[in-house]
Amino acid sequence: MSRQSHISRRVAAAAVSLVLAGGAAACGPKDGADAAGAAGGKPGAAGAPQKGGTLTVLNSEPQNDFDPARLYTSGGGNVPSLVFRTLTTRNREDGAAGTKVVPDLATDIGRPNADATEWTYTLKDGLKYEDGSPITTADIKYGIERSFAAELSGGAPYLRDWLVGGESYEGPYKDGGKGLDSIAVPDAKTIVFKLRKPEGEFPFVATQTQFAPVPRAKDTGAKYEEHPLSSGPYKVVGNENDGERLTLERNEHWDQKTDEERKAYPDRIDVRSGLDAAVINQRLTTSAGPDAAAITTDTNLGPAELAQVGENKELAGRVGTGHFGYVNYIAFNPKVAPFDNPKVRQAISHAINRTSVVNAAGGSALAEPATTFLPEREAFGFTPYDHFPAGKTGDPAKAKELLKEAGFPDGLTVTLTHSTAQNRQTSPEVATAVQQALAAAGITVKLEGLENNAFNERRWDAKNTPGFFLSRWGADWPSGGPFLAPIFDGRQIVTGGSNYNHAQLDDPAVNAEIDEIAKLTDLAAAGKRWGALDKKIGEQALTVPLFHPVYKRLVGKDVKNVVISDWTGVLDISQVAVK
Amino acid sequence: MTRFVLKRTGGALLVLLALSVIVYSLFYLAPGDPARLACGERCNPQQIAQVREQLGLNESTVAQYLHFLQGLVAGRDHSAGAGLVLHCDAPCLGLSYQTDQQVTDLILTRLPATLSLALGALAIWLLVGVGTGVLSALRRGGITERLLTVLTLAGTGTPVFILGLLLLMAVCAYLQWLPFPTYVPLTEDPEQWAWNLLLPWLTLGLFESAKYARITRSSTLETLAEDHIRTFRAYGVGERALVTRHAVRGAVAPVIALSAVDFGTMIGGAVLTESLFGIPGLGKTLIDAVRVVDLPVVVGVVLAIGTAVVVAGAVADLLYAAADRRVALA
Amino acid sequence: MSLTLERSAPAPGAVPPGAGAGRQVWRRLRRRPSAAVAAAVLALLVLLALAAPLVAHLTGQDPNTYHDDLVDSARGGVPIGSFGGISADHWLGVEPGTGRDLFTRLLYGARVSLLVALGAVAVQTAVGVAVGLAATLGGRTADQVIGRTTDVMIALPMLVIGIALTAVVPPDFPRPLLLVLIIGLLDWGGTARMVRAQALALRGLDFVDAARLAGSGKLRIARRELLPSLAAPVITYAAIKVPTAIVAEASLSFLGVGVKPPTPSWGQMLSSAQTWFRADPAYVLLPAGLLFTTVLASTVLGDAVRTALDPREGSRLRVGTGKERTG
Repeated sequence: MSRQSHISRRVAAAAVSLVLAGGAAACGPKDGADAAGAAGGKPGAAGAPQKGGTLTVLNSEPQNDFDPARLYTSGGGNVPSLVFRTLTTRNREDGAAGTKVVPDLATDIGRPNADATEWTYTLKDGLKYEDGSPITTADIKYGIERSFAAELSGGAPYLRDWLVGGESYEGPYKDGGKGLDSIAVPDAKTIVFKLRKPEGEFPFVATQTQFAPVPRAKDTGAKYEEHPLSSGPYKVVGNENDGERLTLERNEHWDQKTDEERKAYPDRIDVRSGLDAAVINQRLTTSAGPDAAAITTDTNLGPAELAQVGENKELAGRVGTGHFGYVNYIAFNPKVAPFDNPKVRQAISHAINRTSVVNAAGGSALAEPATTFLPEREAFGFTPYDHFPAGKTGDPAKAKELLKEAGFPDGLTVTLTHSTAQNRQTSPEVATAVQQALAAAGITVKLEGLENNAFNERRWDAKNTPGFFLSRWGADWPSGGPFLAPIFDGRQIVTGGSNYNHAQLDDPAVNAEIDEIAKLTDLAAAGKRWGALDKKIGEQALTVPLFHPVYKRLVGKDVKNVVISDWTGVLDISQVAVK
Repeated sequence: MTRFVLKRTGGALLVLLALSVIVYSLFYLAPGDPARLACGERCNPQQIAQVREQLGLNESTVAQYLHFLQGLVAGRDHSAGAGLVLHCDAPCLGLSYQTDQQVTDLILTRLPATLSLALGALAIWLLVGVGTGVLSALRRGGITERLLTVLTLAGTGTPVFILGLLLLMAVCAYLQWLPFPTYVPLTEDPEQWAWNLLLPWLTLGLFESAKYARITRSSTLETLAEDHIRTFRAYGVGERALVTRHAVRGAVAPVIALSAVDFGTMIGGAVLTESLFGIPGLGKTLIDAVRVVDLPVVVGVVLAIGTAVVVAGAVADLLYAAADRRVALA
Repeated sequence: MSLTLERSAPAPGAVPPGAGAGRQVWRRLRRRPSAAVAAAVLALLVLLALAAPLVAHLTGQDPNTYHDDLVDSARGGVPIGSFGGISADHWLGVEPGTGRDLFTRLLYGARVSLLVALGAVAVQTAVGVAVGLAATLGGRTADQVIGRTTDVMIALPMLVIGIALTAVVPPDFPRPLLLVLIIGLLDWGGTARMVRAQALALRGLDFVDAARLAGSGKLRIARRELLPSLAAPVITYAAIKVPTAIVAEASLSFLGVGVKPPTPSWGQMLSSAQTWFRADPAYVLLPAGLLFTTVLASTVLGDAVRTALDPREGSRLRVGTGKERTG
């Protein structure tokens, strides 16, 4: 009843305001957002964040999976990280500081043995689930084991690839109670992981939700996601339509003293998904009623909306910028002629017009032109290089010259495979921008647009990879390792599954260097070597890096403490305050 | 009547059977490996094989289809891990490859929203569409008629997405007469249900109205030229009475027939309106499922659409038999 | 009986069978200025579409050339300048993001969209009318079988079929033809249902009964008695289906079975313009306006054609209020 009267009041108020229009606006009080716009720098409303209130989350994708075993989100997801604590987690800070791993349930980010094949963690004191029972390392072991079950598929491949015996383990429902031996639990506070080979970046992997504790007694298999047991600051009190509408409330047994990362300001979190991106951004722009205290964790501003924000200072003050380790590039398959000829690949690299590619991808605010495969962030070990300079708009003369040397003085005709999905990444617009640029260099590009699933099947099929196509890659954590290894490690050429080493590069020197860097537990030192490796591989012109995307996120006008890390590039829901 | 119901039910079962066979065979051709899509982007071949087995995809298409039929008649069991076996009662449409949700449940939770949307839109196009059509038949040749023609055609010419977004921005963002709609089930709060569906109803209803306005107008004019109307006219019956009492009957048959078709397809086809207004309906479910080759969900939604089309068609036949005694029930 | 007698004698002004018929229809059409305007507009659109390369040559623009300097990259690629970047070179402005010339893209887009829409609607109408009439005249069993087949066709989403087609259609199959076939052969259910409903009602009318009694065969009844009376709703419906077909082409192109990029089409332009309608209204209004013009013209023309074809037209003009002459 109360909601109905709310609406009638609105209608009445609107009628009045139509009459009073001009004057009322002029003398109305300035709202918080104006002040924030003036403050500059950090987006969102000004003032010290306070506890309390309800945070509304407007999302497009429903949280269909809410089982820690099934989630595949870099660093433990966003809404899920309010409910699942993991051994380690991402540092909840803005920008580059946000790419660091920090302890969560554990006291430190992990203690390796001498060759980084064994990692030991100790739990903090006073950790409890939402029902008040204590969190033990046996539950963490069980949580990881159940992620191997076919019923709970969806997680990242690293545990399977790294843990001793992981390749053949089929999960706790089929192991007759034996468990996975490479995860040892000497006591309720200690857990030890035994790896097949040195992995200096194990602490990054320990941020994934598979490292969240799940008590065996509470496991209900595929039904667990209906009410996962919370170890974090909030618990799930409502889940409608398979994750389309979620309601989270405070978990009274979560102790702020054990958790330095999650701020947990709001009392209640109301997640509504299944919304159209245009509507989400329109609602945040309007910021009416509960939408003033609203954010989105999965929707960016598109080019048209960015044009809209344009000169509106109030709105611009509510837009945050995020970076995520991601590259959009042209991939070559050197087994297919004429791309077997390095000169042809180089010619194409020189001819590319990154300005029109960036414009097709949404303009300079949403995409940074790239000449390196690694993103331009220190955490990834970014080392600048531009082996085949194309300038801002391409160098067709240089390209023609190389083509002549390659034996194509009259130009050549090639086919570029792309997706028909409207994603501004592998989409027709980007493909056409490439086609246009190469035409100036005498290369006729025929476009082969495939439906998105068909496109993925093609580019991931090691036996039938197209010669010349648009591709993209995102890192599972902010480091050069998960960025370069799947693309250039010869031992990661997969037949029968999804192959990402499109060039099928199997260079012993590259493989050996990847192994060497993996041994390093000094991440800064590792970063430098990843950067050097990227530069070295770049000389072979196996890819043409096109751009690194940038994300623009809009928040409601009452939202405070907006933190966007370079780890995920999304707004960190655990930091947001609405009071 | 009993005969009619029996005959139509039999026909409906055949339609649904045909639809399921067609969807199964089409998806046999479609690109995209459902096991890989269900498993996640970075699954290794072993994991994909496990998931393929778990989903029963390593059987032949025919065997999979027979299992589907078996589930419809007798229900099915599914292992959910942790020693748990989930039973899916007949009629079981299987489990979603992606979310493991029972498709029957999925459809039952989404049908009310879709039906709410479609029924309201139907009411609007019957009122506005037929009303406009009659008005323009009455005022034919006049400026009113031309204006109505342009207006209604502008409705069809404008993509439904832009029409909806314009309404949203005007009513919810600019004037702030209504909050942005969020779907509230009828059973929860009928008043809120109606308020929140008002804009989606208008969007879809107005978009469809043009068609009904044009059809009504032309059928009415057609009837006006018929001999019995000429007789009436000769007897001095006024033009307004001629149109509203007699001629408009000519529009009844085509309007009912098209309404049945549009209502049926709206069950799975109002995707844009659903996603614009956040209505958890079947259209969006279908698009998402097609994109990830979630065959059980696709089959389920297509069967729901099929049922709606058949039922609406039968209702249409009953209606014009009632409206026109010359038409016998077939 | 008097009704049938009147019908069998040619009404004054009715179209007599034979060579004179076309001229008669033509004369009637010419008498309607709105019809003439509509026909001229459609003809102009078709002409511009056919002459697209020539006209594009005159403007000195190419529909596929990117102009990076004409869009504001920092602001999402919105065209620089007012009304979507209108200039002496770019008569209707440029496309956001790419800076491609909108005038030439609309011209080339007309080729695809008009061909596909008119072709598909023609196929739909032909199939729909044939199926609908067969259901009415073919007896109860035929009606049942046809009715349920129509149900299947109506219930099957085009998307589901489109996605399967992506795998089986040879890549070099001519796309416009493919689109005409897909949209035409799938979306005839509405027409068929409407024709059946209308024909069922007509079947009971005296003049049809009379024709049957007079020994006319089913085909003859369909052609001579039912079709003329069905013309009104069918032509009206066909005109209204034009935008649906144009938009359907766009959704099929997202599945990879539409026309290949960079070939433009109005439908594709409309769907990529959707998000731009506040930042760059011109981008939306141009294809939407053309679509609207096409529908309006084909509706007005359809209306005129239907009245001109109507054998009772002459008598209506004589007896009616006289208003029809201008309608």
